[in-house]
Amino acid sequence: MKVNANNFVPAVKDNLQKDDVQEAVHYATKLAYNKRLGSMFEYGKEHGEGLRQQAAEAKRRALRNLPDLLEKAEANMQANGIEVLWAADADEANRMVVEIARQTEAELIVKSKSMATEEIGLNAYLEQNDITVVETDLGELIVQLDGDTPGHLVTPAVHKSKDSIRDLFVRELGMEPTDDAEEMTMAARRHLRKIFLNADMGISGGNFIIAETGTVCLVTNEGNARLTTVLPKVHVAIVGIEKLVDTVDDYATLTQVLPRSAIGQTMPVYTHMLNGPRRADETSGPEKVYVILLDNGRSRIYNTTYTEALACIRCGACLNACPVYRIASGHAYGWVYPGPIGAILTPLFTGLENAKPLPHASSLCGSCYEVCPVQINIPAMLLDLRRDLVKEGLSPQLWDWGMKGWALAFSKPGLFTAGGTAARLGTGLLGQNIPFAGAWTNSRDMPEFADKSFRQQWQERQKGSTDEQS
Amino acid sequence: MSSRDQILKKLREAPQPFTEVAPIPEQRHMVPLTDTSPEALRSLFVENAEKLLCVVQQPQDTEEAIEAILALIGTDKNVTAWDFAHIPLPGLPEALDNTGIAVAESNDASVRVGITGAATALAATGSLVMVNRAGQASYQSLLPEVHIAVLTPDQITTDLEDWMVEQRQQGLDRFRESSNTTIVSGPSRTGDIAMEIVMGAHGPAELHIILLPD
Repeated sequence: MKVNANNFVPAVKDNLQKDDVQEAVHYATKLAYNKRLGSMFEYGKEHGEGLRQQAAEAKRRALRNLPDLLEKAEANMQANGIEVLWAADADEANRMVVEIARQTEAELIVKSKSMATEEIGLNAYLEQNDITVVETDLGELIVQLDGDTPGHLVTPAVHKSKDSIRDLFVRELGMEPTDDAEEMTMAARRHLRKIFLNADMGISGGNFIIAETGTVCLVTNEGNARLTTVLPKVHVAIVGIEKLVDTVDDYATLTQVLPRSAIGQTMPVYTHMLNGPRRADETSGPEKVYVILLDNGRSRIYNTTYTEALACIRCGACLNACPVYRIASGHAYGWVYPGPIGAILTPLFTGLENAKPLPHASSLCGSCYEVCPVQINIPAMLLDLRRDLVKEGLSPQLWDWGMKGWALAFSKPGLFTAGGTAARLGTGLLGQNIPFAGAWTNSRDMPEFADKSFRQQWQERQKGSTDEQS
Repeated sequence: MSSRDQILKKLREAPQPFTEVAPIPEQRHMVPLTDTSPEALRSLFVENAEKLLCVVQQPQDTEEAIEAILALIGTDKNVTAWDFAHIPLPGLPEALDNTGIAVAESNDASVRVGITGAATALAATGSLVMVNRAGQASYQSLLPEVHIAVLTPDQITTDLEDWMVEQRQQGLDRFRESSNTTIVSGPSRTGDIAMEIVMGAHGPAELHIILLPD
């Protein structure tokens, strides 16, 4: 997928003008945020925090032993009858899928929601190769029919109002106009059911791979992943190499903190554990299963100080908690992964020079860290990325001058005092028209400076107290 | 060098991360359970399944259970069903037969009602564990609009954590023998249109659990 993250600020300004997007995203994120709180702490804060600790440990232990676990998972998946392929980058993964589709003689592919396939731009690649691929998650279908891209990790059509979905379904699915969400959903069900029954191949991502059993794990509420993995004769799961977990016990923890963190749900309706193709005595399931282990930059990130970002389980809790995401909404982040985790992943995956505004797209309020089920310290990493921006000369020139001036003033008390006096005088004279601060003062009031500086007040106070004592 | 070897080489060349992270001494369960007596598990399962919008019926005897199933089938002329050996309700095939209800091909997507058993049920979350095996296909709990699952009380266990421990005690091979295990927690649902909850997005819109007497 193309990166457009350097356009963050104009994109946010654009989104601020769209009242329906603002309203839809605000409503959805606040609802999910509150439901998560109730769900993670259903049995008390201490218990909930203990589970976060446990989930965080499980993911870090898996990352610590990642190369060994990958080999173990590969051997176990092969023993389960799964064909395991390794893709170094997006291009290799896409070519593998097309090759499998050719071997299968697949004309129609159904897909269950997967961020990894968004990352590699799989749909566009398949279309270029004259293979029809249909998104089957309702939110993803809405986004695909509208020629759009997902606006959220968990609820891809979060930015679409009900009215716009109605118009889309009337236009694309021939639905009778209705304002009823249930009737709209049923129109999509009928449309997709026909497609499911005719599909030759299914594609999914994977939330986890259990190394000790060679099991690919998925979650959905709608049942589309179950139809995708059960009905077509061939299934392909494209899974990032960081999705490994060691044991079935780790899996039991992680697959339960995921839905609670995502939308405050106890269990997703369908929690899938795929152990490969249909066995000789079974009557349902695919005849052939492929797992493509996708690197696409992950092994590079593994060898940086940002390894922790690979622990992400894509629950989207940090998006829902983030005051910046709530007004910026997903597309402004300019790539696959939006929100606070996206502000880290996009620079790491696509290069800092392609995502310069993102490390600054945060007030560092810390909400994202507080809600993360695997305790990724997002604010600390954003700060580190800001430092990298400066080190690599990617920060704006004005920022550099400002910082140099600041450093100089701090090292010379006389300059520091003079600067304070100038600021008090200057703001008094200029009011709201501060040079270079227009972006700030256009939407906010410039606070008035105190009449006397702290140093002046302190000196006077010290003098006063000595007077009293004497 | 193959992509596989390159990826593994790059990972092994990196300094090993998170070496300082301490192991967790005792694994917590997501849902702490104090009373795990059969009676407590049974009532907790029913409570949680109903929270997920399952309809749970607890008939007094097998006759009443069969009546409940026939009422759900209504005037339909056919259903899909697991092999009756795996549905713990003796007399069901005969009752269907006597009422003129045929059992269709398991993957017939035009049939409205599917009848299954379950491998196990999880009290902590109100879930059914569906293990794909011979005579126990995935279709019947997936394609129809109405899914009826017949369950005996002794099939109710505590939670996913304990079920996984049980799988390990069996050597994990039994778990891996099945191509697909799905934990079903309520009827199919979506919230993708304006966060409004709608049932039956892809899978069954209704999940009826017939919980038999002891």
